[in-house]
Amino acid sequence: MSFLAPLFLFGALAIALPIVFHLVRRSSKENIPFSSLMFLHPTPPRVTRRNRLEHIFLLLLRCLVIGLLAIGFARPFLQKPMSFNPPSERGRRIILLVDTSASMRREGVWPAALAKAEELLNSVSTADQVAVLTFDRQVHSLVSFDQWASIGQSERAALTAGRLREVKPTWANTHVGNAMIAAAEAFTEADKQDQNLGPRRIVLISDLQEGSRLDGLQGYDWPRGIEVQLERIQTERPTNAGLQWVMDADDSAKVDADASSRIRVSNSPNARREQFQLRWEGVSGTTPVDIYVPPGQSRIVQAPTLPPGATGEHLVLRGDDDDFDNAAYIVQPKAEQVTVLFLGDESEKDPTQPFYYLKRGFQQTRRQVVHLSAHPASAALPPDELNSARLLIATDRLPENQVNAVQTFLDNGGTALFIMKNTAMAETIGRCAGTGALTAKDIVATNYAMFGLIDFEHPLFAAFADPRYNDFTKIHFWKYRRFETGNLPGARLLARFDNGDAAFVEIPRGKGRLLVLTSGWQPADSQLALSSKFVPLLYAMLDLAGGIRAQVAQFHVGDPVDLASALVSTVAQSIAVVKPDGQQIKLEPGEMRFSQTDIPGIYSVIAGGTPIRFAVNLDATESRTAPLSIDELERLGIPLKPREIELAKQIEQRRVLQNAELENQQKLWRWLTVAALVLLLMETWVAGWLTRRTTMPAEGTT
Amino acid sequence: MTSENKVNLISAQALMSIKNLELRARVVVEGFCHGLHRSPYHGFSVEFSEYRQYSPGDDPRYLDWRLYARTDRYYIKKFEDETNLRCHLLVDHSRSMTYGSLGYIKAQYANTLAATLAYFLYLQGDAVGLLTFDQQIRAYLPARHRPGHLRHLMLKLEEPAAGITTDLDAPLRHIVEIVKKRALMILISDLLAPIATLEKNLSSLVACGHDVLLFHVLDPAELTFGFEKAIMFHDLETGRRLFIDPATARKDYLKKLGAHNAAVQSTCQRLGIGYRRFGTDRPLELALFDFVRERMQSGKFIKRRIN
Repeated sequence: MSFLAPLFLFGALAIALPIVFHLVRRSSKENIPFSSLMFLHPTPPRVTRRNRLEHIFLLLLRCLVIGLLAIGFARPFLQKPMSFNPPSERGRRIILLVDTSASMRREGVWPAALAKAEELLNSVSTADQVAVLTFDRQVHSLVSFDQWASIGQSERAALTAGRLREVKPTWANTHVGNAMIAAAEAFTEADKQDQNLGPRRIVLISDLQEGSRLDGLQGYDWPRGIEVQLERIQTERPTNAGLQWVMDADDSAKVDADASSRIRVSNSPNARREQFQLRWEGVSGTTPVDIYVPPGQSRIVQAPTLPPGATGEHLVLRGDDDDFDNAAYIVQPKAEQVTVLFLGDESEKDPTQPFYYLKRGFQQTRRQVVHLSAHPASAALPPDELNSARLLIATDRLPENQVNAVQTFLDNGGTALFIMKNTAMAETIGRCAGTGALTAKDIVATNYAMFGLIDFEHPLFAAFADPRYNDFTKIHFWKYRRFETGNLPGARLLARFDNGDAAFVEIPRGKGRLLVLTSGWQPADSQLALSSKFVPLLYAMLDLAGGIRAQVAQFHVGDPVDLASALVSTVAQSIAVVKPDGQQIKLEPGEMRFSQTDIPGIYSVIAGGTPIRFAVNLDATESRTAPLSIDELERLGIPLKPREIELAKQIEQRRVLQNAELENQQKLWRWLTVAALVLLLMETWVAGWLTRRTTMPAEGTT
Repeated sequence: MTSENKVNLISAQALMSIKNLELRARVVVEGFCHGLHRSPYHGFSVEFSEYRQYSPGDDPRYLDWRLYARTDRYYIKKFEDETNLRCHLLVDHSRSMTYGSLGYIKAQYANTLAATLAYFLYLQGDAVGLLTFDQQIRAYLPARHRPGHLRHLMLKLEEPAAGITTDLDAPLRHIVEIVKKRALMILISDLLAPIATLEKNLSSLVACGHDVLLFHVLDPAELTFGFEKAIMFHDLETGRRLFIDPATARKDYLKKLGAHNAAVQSTCQRLGIGYRRFGTDRPLELALFDFVRERMQSGKFIKRRIN
């Protein structure tokens, strides 16, 4: 007999009450008031031991009632032996998931992880099947179930441990989510081949730092029956600061080449150190910068100033426990030279002419330097300029030889913008487009004309598609030229005036395209040059022409680098990439993606001309080395295998639960309560009978 | 006792079933008068003494206006006295009086006795006063003979006994101080209190010229101590509890009570005080009869009546 609520048994102490009452009742039985006791002396009561406790039977009944109630409240039940699941005889399936991310490079972490893995490998039984996966941002299979099975039983553990010892932590960030999913899928994969339904377990050996990515698990329905055992590797030196290059939102805003880079230095929440030093590696003559970063915070600081002429690419943080994330590589973006050809007899100092505004529209930025190469309309164009230029702008009628050059330029993929300053331009347009001479008519707008219908889906106007910027009604056009676009092959009207006449026309030719603005942007024709839309429109044209190349500068370890945008003109050439350790990797012809960014540093792409350099840095999340809360994993529905102490607690909990269930089934308390009620009835009857018996003779005497 | 049975008397128990105190008193007095074959309703006029010429300062109430009409002089009509007799009823209202074994308590009996006497005296035109007491004086009404006075007195009598102990000393001393004129003092009490100072106080009353009558009222149970079971006795006044076996204690009790009563009686005899002791089961007419007989024996009362 056991009790669910044994504390209620203390209630049985209340048995003392009826006993006391039986004793008390004896002394204070019948109490007669009398006027005065002045003539009376107390007579000692004749008390004998035998009748000190009267009505023993009644007392017994009352004690029994209280006792039964106390036992009933204590919820008694008859104990049955507890059944535990006997350990399965079938072999287990274990996947060892070993973290090889950059944070495992911290001192002492990797050897501890190896030791833990070896310990686990040695503890598996012969019936168990083990696979070893390593992961950083990718998952790599080191030993599969099949391989494990193929190795001889005695050598399995040693061989697998040996293989694991050959693995070194990489520089990539940690993607625990993907790794867990891959491991879970490996189980399903293995189950398909062989229906081993023994327990399945994933043993995750990782430092599980805060920066680990778990996002893959969020939408993943964790398969039933796979439990996760977490083997966390702790480090004794918690301080870890990391470096991150802060990218400017708009690099073009800073023309100043000296503008030094900004660096975010973040410190781990459990750090013990707060003082760090930042300095350029490999550059002499710079003074290090002292930084104070309290634990758990981050500071954005300017990189140390470089001596004139020197370029710093390798920034190092000192004063940190772990060095793996203390370097940042920076490739300062170089301004690109872009040539724009201008054909026309205009002075750049004449504000009544379009060229004056064009010259001022293309300002030098950090990204690119636009070189505006102006030539008279009739002068022959230098072929090298024609080859390198992506955009050609003409404002006047061109002679025949020029038209041919422009046609070739267009056929080769160039973009030409013809501004119809006068009606004579129509002939050139027609000829360049290959439809013969066109005619145009001068239109002087009554009051003024404006852009009525704009094709915002075209890349030229796509930047203005946002409702905040798409108001072109403030740009008034006083004069424009009307010409027929109907017979131009493939002509696309990018903008119309409000009366329906063409304002901006795109005519494709060969690989290139011809853009025609039917008005001028000088004040005599319109307000376009004076509007805020002018410069963005010019750059949109330059972009459309392929004059602005994507900057390849900053990547994280493991990021694939798309070289296509950076190497527009060098498609045919073979591409080689030199890694920071000097290794040269040749890309397959036509392959424009480079994905072997496996170490941080400066990479250079050699493809003909000047090498393109880009920096690969450690992912900033890898620097967040504070331990991740295990609750986070449990929240995502990962069934974690409890530790030994917790296991004991669980068994205890189960025992309590089982007891409660047993008690619930047996419900002994009901019988006890019924018995107590019956006894209570008996007690009432006996007490009534006793009272009647004592009072009746008393009534007779009075 | 046999003579009492011959007269058709109302038993005390039957009388106590009448709730109204005044009615009880009336029943007793009328029955008493009936038995005496004397009517109390005539022969009790106010006795005229003399006329005296009015002098300033006299109460104009007593001016005889008829004489003034006849003589055109102011005359004061003088009576021998306003009333025949002043009587003060001293009723014990201590807690010991709340004991009763007959279905009513001693206080009820004492109150009825006091009311009966008051009513009887009132009918005779005597002034009746009241003083109830326990360990101190609870209520005091001066002796008067006015129409509403009797009712007022009855109400005071009916007030529940709030006191705890009996102290005969203080009330007796007090009444001596208050009542200056000679009067009849009727003390109704169970006298269950030390009587060390009783003699001194009573003698001071007597010395003041008062006639004193003592009705010693006791419950039959107190007189006989007829309990049988050995039980816990609870003193009503002190709250003291004693376990007493009546079989063993009775003898001693009766002896002590007898000594107490004898002491009281001898004191009264010595001082010439009328003393009557009876149980509460005794018909009240007999008590009234006792009173009248006592007054006759003392002679003073009768003498005044004859005058």
